[in-house]
Amino acid sequence: MAYIAMTTGFVLILIGLYGALTNRNILRMIVAFTVANTGVNLVMVAVGYLHGRTAPILDAAVPVAEAVERIIDPVPQALVLTAIVIGVGVTALMLAYAYKLYESKRTLDISAFKDLKW
Amino acid sequence: MVSAIYILAVGLGAAFLIGLLRDEWRAGAYGVSLAALALMSLISASWVWVLASGDGRAVDILTAGTLPPYAINLRMGLAEAVLTLLINLTGLLSAVYLRDTLFKQGRRALATLLVFTMASCGIVLTRDLFNLFVFFELVAIATGGLVLLSRDQRALAAGFKYLVASQVITVLLLVGIIFAYHATGTLNIDGMAVLSELVIKGGGLAFFLMFIAILLDLKPFPANGWALDIYESAHPAFSAMLSAASASAALFAADKLLLIGGSTWLPVATGIGIFGFVGANLFALAQTNDRRLLGYSSVAQVGLVLAVLGQRDLLGDRYLFIAGGILLAHAVAKAGLYWLSGLVEGRKLTAWSALQGHPLLIFAFASFIALLVGLPPFPGFYAKWELVIALGGEGRLALLGLILFGALLEAGYLFRWFGQALKRERSLEPVAASSFKRAVILSAVAAGWGLGFIWGALSPNGNLLLALPLLFALAFLALEPLSVRIKNSVAIVGMVAWFLLTLPSYDPLQLIFAAVMLLGGALILLASYQTQGQRIGFYPSAMLMYAGLAMLIVAEDAFSFFAAWESLTIGSYFLILRGQRSEPHALSYMVFSLGGAFLILAGFALAAGGDPLFTLAGLAKVAAPIAPWVFLLLAIGFMTKTAAVGLHIWLPGAHAEAETDVSPMVSGILLKAGLFGLFVLLMAMGSQQLYGVELTHLLLWIGALSALIGNLMAAFQEDAKRLLAYSSIGQMGYALFGLAMMNHLGWLMALMFVINHFIYKSMLFLSVGGVAKRTGTRDMYRMGGLITLMPLSFIAVLIGIIAMSGVPPLSGFGGRWIFYNAILTAEYRLPMILIFISGPIAFLYLFRLIHTIFLGQLKDEHRRVKEAPFWLVLPQMIFVAFLLVFALVPGLALRRVDAYISQFHPEGALGWEGLTITSDFGYWSPISIMIVVGVIFASLFAWLVFVNRKAQKVKQFNIVFAGERPFRPETTHFAWNFFAPYRKALGFMTEPLVERFWAAIVDLLHASADLLRRLYTGNGQTYAIQLLAFVVVVYLLRTGL
Amino acid sequence: MSFEWIKIPYALLTLFIVANYGFLLTAVMAKIAARVGRRHGIPVWQNYLDLIKNYGLRSSITHGVMFYLGPVFRLTGGVGLLMFVPTIYGSVMFSNMSFAGDLILALYFVFFGSLGMALGAGESGHPYSAIGVTRGLSQVTAAELPFALAVYAVAVQYQTLSVTEIVAAQQGGILNWTLFTNPIAVAAAMLSFLGSMMRPPFDVVLAPQEIPIGPPTEYHSSYLALMQTNRAIFPIAKIVIYMNLFFGGAASWPVFFLKVFLIYLVSVIVGVVFPRFRVEQSIRWFLIWAVPLGVIAIVIA
Repeated sequence: MAYIAMTTGFVLILIGLYGALTNRNILRMIVAFTVANTGVNLVMVAVGYLHGRTAPILDAAVPVAEAVERIIDPVPQALVLTAIVIGVGVTALMLAYAYKLYESKRTLDISAFKDLKW
Repeated sequence: MVSAIYILAVGLGAAFLIGLLRDEWRAGAYGVSLAALALMSLISASWVWVLASGDGRAVDILTAGTLPPYAINLRMGLAEAVLTLLINLTGLLSAVYLRDTLFKQGRRALATLLVFTMASCGIVLTRDLFNLFVFFELVAIATGGLVLLSRDQRALAAGFKYLVASQVITVLLLVGIIFAYHATGTLNIDGMAVLSELVIKGGGLAFFLMFIAILLDLKPFPANGWALDIYESAHPAFSAMLSAASASAALFAADKLLLIGGSTWLPVATGIGIFGFVGANLFALAQTNDRRLLGYSSVAQVGLVLAVLGQRDLLGDRYLFIAGGILLAHAVAKAGLYWLSGLVEGRKLTAWSALQGHPLLIFAFASFIALLVGLPPFPGFYAKWELVIALGGEGRLALLGLILFGALLEAGYLFRWFGQALKRERSLEPVAASSFKRAVILSAVAAGWGLGFIWGALSPNGNLLLALPLLFALAFLALEPLSVRIKNSVAIVGMVAWFLLTLPSYDPLQLIFAAVMLLGGALILLASYQTQGQRIGFYPSAMLMYAGLAMLIVAEDAFSFFAAWESLTIGSYFLILRGQRSEPHALSYMVFSLGGAFLILAGFALAAGGDPLFTLAGLAKVAAPIAPWVFLLLAIGFMTKTAAVGLHIWLPGAHAEAETDVSPMVSGILLKAGLFGLFVLLMAMGSQQLYGVELTHLLLWIGALSALIGNLMAAFQEDAKRLLAYSSIGQMGYALFGLAMMNHLGWLMALMFVINHFIYKSMLFLSVGGVAKRTGTRDMYRMGGLITLMPLSFIAVLIGIIAMSGVPPLSGFGGRWIFYNAILTAEYRLPMILIFISGPIAFLYLFRLIHTIFLGQLKDEHRRVKEAPFWLVLPQMIFVAFLLVFALVPGLALRRVDAYISQFHPEGALGWEGLTITSDFGYWSPISIMIVVGVIFASLFAWLVFVNRKAQKVKQFNIVFAGERPFRPETTHFAWNFFAPYRKALGFMTEPLVERFWAAIVDLLHASADLLRRLYTGNGQTYAIQLLAFVVVVYLLRTGL
Repeated sequence: MSFEWIKIPYALLTLFIVANYGFLLTAVMAKIAARVGRRHGIPVWQNYLDLIKNYGLRSSITHGVMFYLGPVFRLTGGVGLLMFVPTIYGSVMFSNMSFAGDLILALYFVFFGSLGMALGAGESGHPYSAIGVTRGLSQVTAAELPFALAVYAVAVQYQTLSVTEIVAAQQGGILNWTLFTNPIAVAAAMLSFLGSMMRPPFDVVLAPQEIPIGPPTEYHSSYLALMQTNRAIFPIAKIVIYMNLFFGGAASWPVFFLKVFLIYLVSVIVGVVFPRFRVEQSIRWFLIWAVPLGVIAIVIA
C-alpha cells in the first residue's frame, strides 16, 4: 500500500513539475503546481504510514497506553495538514497574480512577461 | 528578559489586530505596526545586550509545554539575537521609509510587512525543520504580497516568477524534510544533528533535497533570475528588506542545516558560495540599472557568506565574527543603498548624479560602498582580514584567490558607479525631499559606522576607529561647514603636531618618510589656502590619505600596515576623483590600487601561517617554499603604487587630472608609500629566488624599464601635467632600481630619490598648476613666453629641472653620483644600460617643459597673465630654498640614514668627513662645487655686464627672420610635436602595449558578462528549469566528486 | 686634495693656456678641413680677429634675462668642466679644482652649459634656436650612451672614479693605456666622441644650411664672444677627459698639446669624409653601431 501511495505521489510530483515547466499558460502552470503539491502530500502521508495500524486519534478505541503500538506516526499527518493550508494560500496568491497579469497584458502566456531580464 | 517568542507573538498579533481595524484608520494601523516593529526590535536588542555583555546564555524556548522533539522549540543565542535585531530594525526602518506608500495601500500591506518581518525572525529562531518550512512559506507569501507595493508595473511579473520558483523549492524542501524525518524520527534540527550519521548515510538524498532547497532560497547564482527581477522592480524599501533581512535569515537557516550535514557538506556550501560570489560580481559589471546591479551584488555577497559558512571547520571560534562581519556589513550597506535608490528618480547608474550637491547623501553613498567592499574601518575589513589569514594559513589558496578576485570585480563596478554619480553631468531630476527617508538612510550610515566600531573592538588587531590619525581625519567630516582657511590651518597644525609627537619613536628611515609625508604634506597644504569657500569633501579625503600614510610608517604588524595602506588608498581615490575630468582615471587608480592591495593581503596571508597578529618582522622568518611567493605578491602589490611599468597606466591620467594642489600630494607624497613598502619588504626578506630567478634581479629590470618608458613617454606629451606624471614613473623606476640593487649605495640612492623627487615634483606640479590656472590650458604649445609674466614660477621650474636632470651643482647630482658608485658593485650590469639611456632622455622632457611654457613666443591671449597666486608660489619658494640647502648639505638628511642602512648592508658606506663625501670609488664635495661654479658664473656674468651693459631690450618679434616679421606667435613658437625626429627614431617604444593589454582584459570581462547574462531570459519557466538544472548539476558534481 | 688660495692663479693659468690653444686649434682644424675640400680656409689667428670684432660691435640687444645669461651659462659650463678635471697628470699646479668631485661630476657638468645655453636661446623666441636645441637633445641621448657605458667599464676596470687615479693606473708605457687594455670600451667611447664634436656626420644641431647655426641664431656681439671662447675651451676640456680616461693622460704640456690635437683630429678626419646625418639617422647609427660595443664592454668588464 505504502509503496503504491508513495510511487503515485512521486509520479504526481513529476507530472506536476513537468506540467508547470512545459505549459505556457499561467493557469495551467498553477494547476500543475497543485498537482505537484498533492503528490508531495501523498508522499508525506505514505512515509508516515505503518501497515496494519489505525489512525492516530486517541479515543475509546485506542487507549493511551497502547497508542504507541497501535497508531501510525501522527507527525507526517500534521505536516500534511499544514502543507495543505499553506499550499492553498500560495495557490490563491498565484491565482490573484494570474488575474492581475491578465489584466495588465490581456494574455496568460508566461513568455509574454519578459520585460525584466538580464 | 522578555522571551524571544514575543518577537513572533507581537508581530503576528499586530498583524491580526490590524486586520481587525477599520479601513479608514490608516494612521492607527500604521502606528500599531510601527509600535510592533519597535517592540520586536527592542526585544531583540535587549537580548543582544544581555548576551553580548556575557551576563546571559543562549536560551531554548519551549512551546506546548513539551520538550523537543515532541514540540517545536526556538532558540535565542547571540547570533539569533543579532540577526533578529537586524531583521526587525530593517523592517522598522523600511516601514518608516514606506510611510506614504503604506498609507496609500492600507492595512493589508501593513499586515503583510509585519508577517514578513515576523516570519524572517522565525526562520532565525526556530530549531524545527518543519517549522522552518512554514516560516519560509510565510516569507514567500509575504514577498509575493509586498512586491506589489512597487509603482513599477513589471513587478507583477516578477512576483509571479518568484512564486513559481518558490513552488519548486517547496516541493524539494518538503520531500527532503519528510524523508529526513523518516530516517531519524525527529524534526528537531539539533536532534537530527546528533543523528547526523543516519541522515547522511541513510538519507543522503533527503538531506541533499532539504539543503539545496534552503540554498535555493538564498537565490544562488546562476539559478536566480526570478530574484534579480524582484530586486529590480520591487519597491526599494522592500528590496532592502529582501536583501538585508530575508537573505540573512536564509543564510542562518543554511547554517543550521550544515549542523546536520556535518563536515562533508561544507565544501558544497563553499563551492556554491564562491561560484556565486565571482559569477554574480562578473555579471554585475554589465549592469546599467542601479537596483538590478544591487541585486547582483546581493547575490554575490550572500554567496561570499555562504562560502564562509562552508569554512567553519577552519575558522573555529572566529567563525561568528567573520561571517557576521561580512553579513552585517552587506545587510546594512545593501539596505542603505536600496533606500538611497528610492531618493533617485532615474534608474540608470548615471542618474545618481542627482546626488551631487547633497554632501550628506554622497557621504552615505561612499560609506555604503566602503562597507560593501570591506574597506577599513568597517566590519567587513576586520572579517576579511581574519578570513584571508585563516585561508592562507591552511593553504586554501584557490578559494582565497577567488574571493579576492571577486572582491576586486565588485569594487570595480561599485567605484565606477560612485565615480559616475559624482562626476557626470548633474541629473536634472531632483532628489526626493522626504526627511523620513533621509533619516532612515542616515540611521543606516550610523549603523554602519557603529558596526565598524564594534567589530574593531572585537578584533584582536585593535580598533582602527580609536587610531588618532584616523580620528583626526574623520573629525574633518564634522568641520565641513567651516571655511577653507580654518580647516586648512587645522590640518596643517594637526599634521605638524603629529609629526612632532611621534618624532622620538622614528628610526632614521621612518624619519625621512615621515618628514616627507607629514611635514611635506603640510607644506603642500599651504597651496590649498588659495581655494575659496568650503571645499566640501577635500579635507576628509586628504586627511584620510595622510592618516593612512602616518599609520603606515609606524606600522609594526601586518594588519595595521594593511589597514593604513587601504586608508591611504581610499583617501587618495577621493582626492583624485575631485579633478574635473578625472572620473575614468580615478577609477583605474582605484582598481589598480585595490588589486595591488589584495595582492599584498594575499602575500601577508601566505606569510602569516594563520596568525592574524602577524608582525612585519615575521616576514624575515618565512621559510623557503613560500617565501619567494610572498615576496612576489608583496612586491607587485607595492609596485602598483610606485607605478612600475606594466602597472603604470593609471598614473598619468590620475596625476594630470587632479586638482592643482592635489597633484603634488598624490605625486610627490603618495608614490612614496609604495617605496616605503618595498623598503620594508626588502629589509625583512632580502632577495628571494623563484625557480632559480633572483627576484631582485627582476625588480632591477622593471625599475630600469620604468625609468626608460616613463622618461620616453614624458618627452612626447603635449600636456604639461601629463608630462610631469610620466616623469614620475621614470623617477620611481630609478628608485626601484636603486632598491633592487640590494647594496648600500643603491638604497641610499633610493632614499635620495624619495627626498628629491618629493621636492622637485611637488614644486613643478605647483608651478605648472599655477600656470595652467592662469592660462586656462595645460597644453604647453598653447603657452610660451611666460617668463617675464610669471618670473617666480619660472624660477621654480628652472631650479626644479636643473635638480631633476642631475646637473651639478643642485641636489639631483647627488642622486646620480650615488647611483654611479652603487652600480660599480652591482651584480647585474645589463639593466643599467636602460638607466643610462633614460638619463639623457630626461633632458628632453625637462627642456620641453620649461621652453614651451616660459620661453619662446608669448601668445596674444596671455599678454595680461599675472603671476600665480601667492599661496601657490609660497610653497614653491620654500621648496626652492630646500633644494638649495639640500644641494649644499645632503649629509643633513642622508648621514644618519647612511649609518642606519649599514645594519643591512655594512659594505660600501660613505665617508662624511669634512666637506667632502667619499665612497670606495670616488669623492664629491657639494659645497666646493657650488663655490667653484658660483665664482666662475659670477665672474663671467660680471664680465658680460661690463662689456655689454648697454644691451637694449627688444620686442618679441625683433628676431633674425630673413628681414621679415614673423606672422603670429602661434606660427613662430616652435612647440607642438617638439621632438618629431625623436619620435621617428624611437617612437615604436611608446606604443601603448600595456594599456592595450589591460583594456583587452577589461573588455573580455565586460563582453563575457554581457554575453553570459543573457542566460536570464526573463521567462519564469526558463528560470524554473534553471532552478531544477542547478539542483541536478550540484547533485551530480557532489556525487561525482 | 684640498683647496688652497694658490690654486686660483694656477687655475687661471691653465685656463689661459687652454683657451689660447683652443683658439688656435679650432682654427687649424677649420683650415685642415678647408684644405681637404680644396678651399683656402681661414688664417690660424682668425678666432682672435673674430673676438675683437665681436667685442667691438656697438649694437647690442637682449631678449630678456635668460637670453642674457645663456652665454654665461655656456661658458661657465666649459670653464667649469676644465676646472673639475686635472689637466696635467702629476702636476699640482695644473690639477685645477679637481678636489671638488670625481669623474661623475665632470660627466654631468657637461650638461650645465648646454642646458643654460638652450634656455637662453629659447628666450630669444627664434624657432630655429628651438629646432636646433631639440635636435641637439635628441641626438645626445643616443650619442652619450656608448660613452657612459665606456666610462662605466673603465671605472670598473680601475675600480675608481677618480680621474687622477685612472691616469695613474695607465702610466708606465703605452701598452698600459686603456686604449690597449680595454679596446672595446675605447672604441665605443670614440664613436660617441664623434657625436659630441659638432662635426659631420653629426652636426645637424648647427646645420648651417637649413637652420642657420641653430641655437645661437640670435646671439651676437659680446654674447657671441663668450660663446666663441667656450667653443675653444669646451672641446678641449672634453678631450682632456677622453685623454685621461683612455689615452694615458698627459704628464707635460707638449704631450698634452699633441694628444689633444690627435684626438681632435679623429673627429675632423671622419667629418670631412662623411655627409651629414639627419637626427633619426644618427640615433639609429649610434644604437646600432656604438651601443653594442659599449654593452660588450660592460659585460666583459
